Amino acid sequence: MRLIPGNTIAEETKATDKLTLIDFSAEWCGPCKMLHPVLTKLTTELSDKINILTVDIDKDPAAANQFGVRGVPTMIIFHGGKEIDRMVGFKDKASLKRDLEALAVGTL
Amino acid sequence: MSFNVSVGLVDSGVKKGEDSYQLVIAGGGPAALSAALYAARYGIKHVVLESWKPGGQAALTAEIENYPGFSLIAGSDLTDAMKKQALQAGAVFHMETVETAVEKNDKILVKTDSAEYTTDYLIIATGAAPATLGVPGESKYYGRGVSFCATCDAPFFKNKRAIVVGGGDSAVKEALHLTHVVSELGLVHRRDKLRAEPFLATKLIEHKKVATYWNSHLAEVVGDDMGVTGVVLDTPEGKKHIDTDGVFLYVGTIPATEPFVSLVELDKKKAVLTRNIVGTSNPRVFAAGDVTNNGFRQVVTAVSEGARASAAVFDLIQNEE
Repeated sequence: MRLIPGNTIAEETKATDKLTLIDFSAEWCGPCKMLHPVLTKLTTELSDKINILTVDIDKDPAAANQFGVRGVPTMIIFHGGKEIDRMVGFKDKASLKRDLEALAVGTL
Repeated sequence: MSFNVSVGLVDSGVKKGEDSYQLVIAGGGPAALSAALYAARYGIKHVVLESWKPGGQAALTAEIENYPGFSLIAGSDLTDAMKKQALQAGAVFHMETVETAVEKNDKILVKTDSAEYTTDYLIIATGAAPATLGVPGESKYYGRGVSFCATCDAPFFKNKRAIVVGGGDSAVKEALHLTHVVSELGLVHRRDKLRAEPFLATKLIEHKKVATYWNSHLAEVVGDDMGVTGVVLDTPEGKKHIDTDGVFLYVGTIPATEPFVSLVELDKKKAVLTRNIVGTSNPRVFAAGDVTNNGFRQVVTAVSEGARASAAVFDLIQNEE
């Protein structure tokens, strides 16, 4: 899972035919730490369908503001540069994988 | 960003689901961690299936002041220390979510999202998730001003206004945490006094940033494209609109018992009905912590129940031999 600067979100989400999940996260956030290994595993398992990237909201508060993020972790899923879904809080791997696969089926 | 991967995230590397166990512990919070510690020390062949939030609700509590031995400790630090101690004792953790658990041939078959486990005994310590009110705007603005975790989301409300809904220990602890960052804090409670520990309740009510709304209910969360802008309350004087940027909800919990409905009797709130503190309607199944109907939901009671549950399993194993 790659850390990206907030000002490259538009570029990253438009540059692929796959879905892009942006994880808005913070080092002080407990659920973000819980979610991190889940996203790391899904980065590999869903690599044909989705790119998973992370933004540090402390380093990029403007990005959090731009996307109306007021809680972490917030995962925003994009396709073709447009937001198609948003999930807030920790999700276990099975639920998140199921939800992302369903989004991929409905979108790709 | 360098994430500090906590001990709560360590996977054991042991092969999964290929063997029969004496004990499966479902859960990852203080009750499960304590059960794991005691199971390991008793030499019980066990595995902990911890996927549903390692550390549990306690890990999301900013400051714990009532756990004996610690005047003040972050919830995540306490649960990390518990996990570390259990691992050092030999506890085995798998990061998997329990989907179902059923009886099969005098054993219990536990299915997770990625494996199956056969076990003689099961300890249910899956905790509870925050309850919602179901009022208009609540789900729409979740993550856009509506939160169930002040510890996680308080930094978004620095010098902004927030309200907390609830009157128990969790509501008061998290409201006190919010007073460190917000400019104004409203406390909305359906009764005329708080249920929380009096020491904390008094500290909150007397705080200069706090305004109280007694005998009041949250009726609606309102907002715009960017998130929450206010709430509507039902008060004894009628509907009242309050401008706010954040709404923090602490209105009870829902026990995580769904995978176990065919195994044990539940009460009307779906908590595991216990007998003698950790026993259940099923002699092969024990329960500990917030998932039970034991009532007093504290870290100190959860760890006590986890230890009792593993001790009870150990006694049964000894009697069988």
